[in-house]
Amino acid sequence: MNFQLNDEQQQLQDSVGRLLADHCSFEQRRAIVASADGRSAALYGRLAELGVTALLVPEAQGGFGGRLEDLLPVLQACGAALCTEPVLASAVLGATALRVAGGEPAARLLPGLAQGTTVVAWAHDEPGTRHADLWIETRAEKGPGGWTISGVKLPVISGPQAQHFVVSARIAGAADATQGCAFFVVDAGAAGLQRRDFRLVDDTPASELTFNATPAQALADPLSDPLSDPHDGAAFQRILTAVNAAGIAALCADMVGAAQAAYRLALDYLNVRKQFGRLIGENQALRHRAADMLVSLEMARSMAIAAAVAADRPEAEDSAADLLRAKLIVGRHARQVCQHAIQCHGGIGMTEEYAVGHCLRRVHVADHLFGDADAQARRLAALLA
Amino acid sequence: MNLDFSAEQRAFRDEVRAFIRERLPAEIRERLRLGHPPRKQDTVAWQRILHERGWAAPHWPRRYGGADLGLAERLILLDEIYRAPAPLPQAFNTGMLGPVLLKYGTEAQKDHFLPRLARLDLWFCQGFSEPGSGSDLASLRTRAERDGDDYIVNGQKIWTTTAHLADWVFALVRTSTEARKQEGISFLLIDLKTPGITIRPIVSIDGEHHLNEVFFDNVRVSVANRVGDENRGWDCAKYLLVNERSGIANVGLCRERLDYARELASRITEGGRPLAADPKLKAEFAELDAEVRALEVTNWRFLLDPQAQQAQPAFASVLKLKGVELQQALAALLARIDGPAGLERRGIHGVPERHGPLSPRYFYSRAASIYGGTSEVQKDIVAKTIVG
Repeated sequence: MNFQLNDEQQQLQDSVGRLLADHCSFEQRRAIVASADGRSAALYGRLAELGVTALLVPEAQGGFGGRLEDLLPVLQACGAALCTEPVLASAVLGATALRVAGGEPAARLLPGLAQGTTVVAWAHDEPGTRHADLWIETRAEKGPGGWTISGVKLPVISGPQAQHFVVSARIAGAADATQGCAFFVVDAGAAGLQRRDFRLVDDTPASELTFNATPAQALADPLSDPLSDPHDGAAFQRILTAVNAAGIAALCADMVGAAQAAYRLALDYLNVRKQFGRLIGENQALRHRAADMLVSLEMARSMAIAAAVAADRPEAEDSAADLLRAKLIVGRHARQVCQHAIQCHGGIGMTEEYAVGHCLRRVHVADHLFGDADAQARRLAALLA
Repeated sequence: MNLDFSAEQRAFRDEVRAFIRERLPAEIRERLRLGHPPRKQDTVAWQRILHERGWAAPHWPRRYGGADLGLAERLILLDEIYRAPAPLPQAFNTGMLGPVLLKYGTEAQKDHFLPRLARLDLWFCQGFSEPGSGSDLASLRTRAERDGDDYIVNGQKIWTTTAHLADWVFALVRTSTEARKQEGISFLLIDLKTPGITIRPIVSIDGEHHLNEVFFDNVRVSVANRVGDENRGWDCAKYLLVNERSGIANVGLCRERLDYARELASRITEGGRPLAADPKLKAEFAELDAEVRALEVTNWRFLLDPQAQQAQPAFASVLKLKGVELQQALAALLARIDGPAGLERRGIHGVPERHGPLSPRYFYSRAASIYGGTSEVQKDIVAKTIVG
């Protein structure tokens, strides 16, 4: 059993921490999210220089062939800094989908993704998905000129920044059928693709994509014929399972980072703010709230580790359950920490100008991606039954 | 990072499991599974079986009846005992007094008491709390006055768990009122058969007798039975309270009770349907499963990773707070699952039948956030390390 970062992980954590402190302080971030793009290409370039975008990419495509565990401290730092760069979308989700799929699209797109020059976003959820295990209404058809897809994907995180999308679509069957689906790569400039850009409630750039007979390239295991894949769904399931695991592990790390930031702000505030002639941190009610926050934060921290370990070892006995447990625990406890942190601040915690509320907004968004805590409880109940 | 035990540790787990499977009397296991607490004879019988391997006091040196086990092995052993379920080694003997004697006891005290504590030839109880002292332990007033080679002890202890079953008590007594309240306390071992001692039962909200008042009226205790120096008993008490933390989170207990809750829910029907099919209950099981796992990983992280301990000096309080919360949630859940059929009043040591005493156990579970430092005191301890 080992809970410590290795030397490389420690170094990366330190350098990413310094980078974000220098370029993504809360004031700098406010300017970034107020800009037209809502993110900073320069900041993403610097993260790429440190190797963040290359971490999960195989060495053959110019990456480090790393694991989620290696990204854990980086994603915590991004969460704490409320960073709006497409790290989750591209460096985690896009990279994982392409890596598991392999083949020509992976060879073509992963080198640029690793360098940070290409952003590949994950376009899987649909307006009707909510927290369903699987819901794909988007259709794919094979015509004389190749595949085309039609349908709506929402929300697509970092959609405005992406040059390519990994899109799930259905060749046969009902929206919740596990067979009859495949993943496709669609270029952002493809014909018949409409993009409506917006911001999530935590300022993250996102898009709604509407496909109308849009040309698409099938993404599948090179060992299997893309055409035969929909019939057994094996390649589709393999990609989906890996991306779900990576997404859950990444969001758990991100939420722990955001909750940790809220916790730090609250503790600092308890030690400076005076009312009724004394520090508010002398009040037992607030001291106990701080202790509750620490307990929640430590539970969340443990399960973020468990999620990363599970995502890296999907074959291990506890992995499937640990991912669900982790998303449930981190979702609940990180939210709890942020809510307590706002309460510790009083009125100032309620303002847009102050960071602590943004931590709750970040956690709220992360909790809703890849299934919220209630959905994880439902899935875990089914798995344990 | 990884969350796996090593091959040696897994082999040890298999060894413990096989030992328990072979040696734990079925009747004891069944009683505990149904929710009965272990009776004295159950604890004694099982502790003597564990003692054959040194597992009654696994963290002690072998020469005193321990097994010199490392922390990871102790966690594994404890987990397996809980999950069996089997009675835990008597905690006052092995978890509290034993370590204090190992650190502060004289050679004669160690040679005499430690083997008897490990084998449970002597049953010790703890005489710390007093009327009015509560969580402010150091305000205790029971006094011991020197008379030649003896102390004369006068005063009263309260909440003394198992005093009515015990042979001896280890007690904190005031030997000086001159300095700070912590500096006038001594740590005495007192034979409960000594003239002048009266034990009165306190019946708790489960309708049972676990707790007692113990009165000392001119009780004569040899100075040879003082542990540590005179007026330095607070050192022993502090050491006792922080020394043995491997069991503080009670992870294995939570896991075993959750398993039993699932089992019980699958056997009980409501309107002709198994209770286990209720979606709300299923979600609750899942949520508790996730919480117990988070506690388990946190327990490993805090106990096995020195860096995590350094980063959070109040880690033991964190573990107790969360462990107690889950323990109480599970006790309440079990009583709810048992439902109206569990309302019939029965003694907790009754004959095992389908319904164990789950409602009384729920009532008594409320004590977990009061003893060993209330949850409010634990939060004060945590807050001191983070708020200042």
